[in-house]
Amino acid sequence: MTCEEVRNNLPLFLYGELSFDAEDQLESHLDECELCRSDLARERTLHAAFDHAELTVTSDALRASRQEFQSRLSASAKGHDSFWGNLREMFTVKFHMPSVAQPIGALALVAMGFFGARFVPAGALGGFVSAGVADPIASRVRYVEPEASGRIQIVVEETRQRTLTGNMGDERIQRLLLTAAKDPADPGLRVESMDLLKSRPEMADVRSALLYALRHDANAGVRLKALEGLKGSAGDPEVRQTLSQVLLADKNPGVRTQVIDLLIQQKEQPQMVGVLQELMRKEDNGYVRMRCQKALHDMKASVESF
Amino acid sequence: MAQTAVRMDESALIRAAQAGDQSAFEQLVRQYDQSVLRLALNLLRSPEDANDVYQEAFLRVFRNLHNFRFDCSFHTWLYRIVTNLCLDALRKRRVRKEETTVVETSDGVLDRMDTVEESRAHGNPQRQLMSNELKGRIRQVLEGLTPRERMVFELRHYQGMRLRAIGETLGTSEEAAKNCLFRATQKMRASLGDFV
Repeated sequence: MTCEEVRNNLPLFLYGELSFDAEDQLESHLDECELCRSDLARERTLHAAFDHAELTVTSDALRASRQEFQSRLSASAKGHDSFWGNLREMFTVKFHMPSVAQPIGALALVAMGFFGARFVPAGALGGFVSAGVADPIASRVRYVEPEASGRIQIVVEETRQRTLTGNMGDERIQRLLLTAAKDPADPGLRVESMDLLKSRPEMADVRSALLYALRHDANAGVRLKALEGLKGSAGDPEVRQTLSQVLLADKNPGVRTQVIDLLIQQKEQPQMVGVLQELMRKEDNGYVRMRCQKALHDMKASVESF
Repeated sequence: MAQTAVRMDESALIRAAQAGDQSAFEQLVRQYDQSVLRLALNLLRSPEDANDVYQEAFLRVFRNLHNFRFDCSFHTWLYRIVTNLCLDALRKRRVRKEETTVVETSDGVLDRMDTVEESRAHGNPQRQLMSNELKGRIRQVLEGLTPRERMVFELRHYQGMRLRAIGETLGTSEEAAKNCLFRATQKMRASLGDFV
């Protein structure tokens, strides 16, 4: 190894990034060459000097970043809620519909939730461009820089796509559908996946996904699909408990109406009366109240709890 | 829930977060967020820009975690996101020529980086003086590097990553990362040679 080669390799030597042979040759050279040893000493000083310029993160800065991130996450989650909240307000506060029109309003809500989920653009949530299924590669231009020579430098981000086919009995298909059913960026995809999964409510994973979506999905269309999947399991204690919680907490009157329909299938369960009476106490939507009242009447229970 | 998550290893934590466990996701973020913020701060030399990268990086992790397939380590996946964001910011800044951290205020000219803590040189005035001068020189040198050279140098020198891991993170070969580091150190040696 010549002195010039040693000099060029000193930074990599200090970082421990030379190959075993190159390091061995460099060290042999250093043993013989005083000039290169002094170069190494200078390189070490320079190396250490960079440590002075390192910036450290203060605990205040880290705390502030963490707090901001928490707020952004919450805001992201509330984006959907505010939409449905506004919609509910439209039907309950501003429009004093005659009682005959209320079932139509509720049906409209169900339809809007379902079709809204299918047609919400994915970009509205994540800001990512999705490519057509037929496209093997999805490209996104990340950066464009004109060079002095007149050439243009373009940085392209590429995502390779793969098409998988199979039937619902295929474990791989089931796994992918379960993942897609939780895709936070695409409610349309969640609805489609849920629509396929609901045919297999007997599977533990599918039932968990349906219950999870019913409790937590921000989109009412997805929650309605999950409800459809749970129709046959309303007698199951875990499902019944979830339905009771959703009835009292879900912000969408269409969902609450559907839950009442499922719960009244279990009218022999005495705790159902208590849940419906609790709903009567807090419900402000006229149509849902009417359905709840009818359910209690059919169960020969009083409308109010005493 | 949080106590359960503490005992989880990283892959279990990721799987739990993918399944919607918020506590697992928060713990995953906290495992890496300090080093992410430090990387962004040292690369961009702006606390505000570093925070922007932090926010965007972890929001992208949140939105795309379900797509993480364990083809590489979570560290590599996360750093790929962070380094892409930082490279974008550095490139845009190069175009806009907005490198300066010095701002004019009603109290005079201030360097925003003076409010950021440095890792060494506390307590000794002479050393502090040398450190400040050196800091300025190094800042100038770093500004002269290309975004990729700067990134490789940052990841190797301050983050202590091996060149192979750097190559994987930046989507290039170990050899290309080595060449980048070589060019960066050559430039810095040329600019700071008289200082040491």
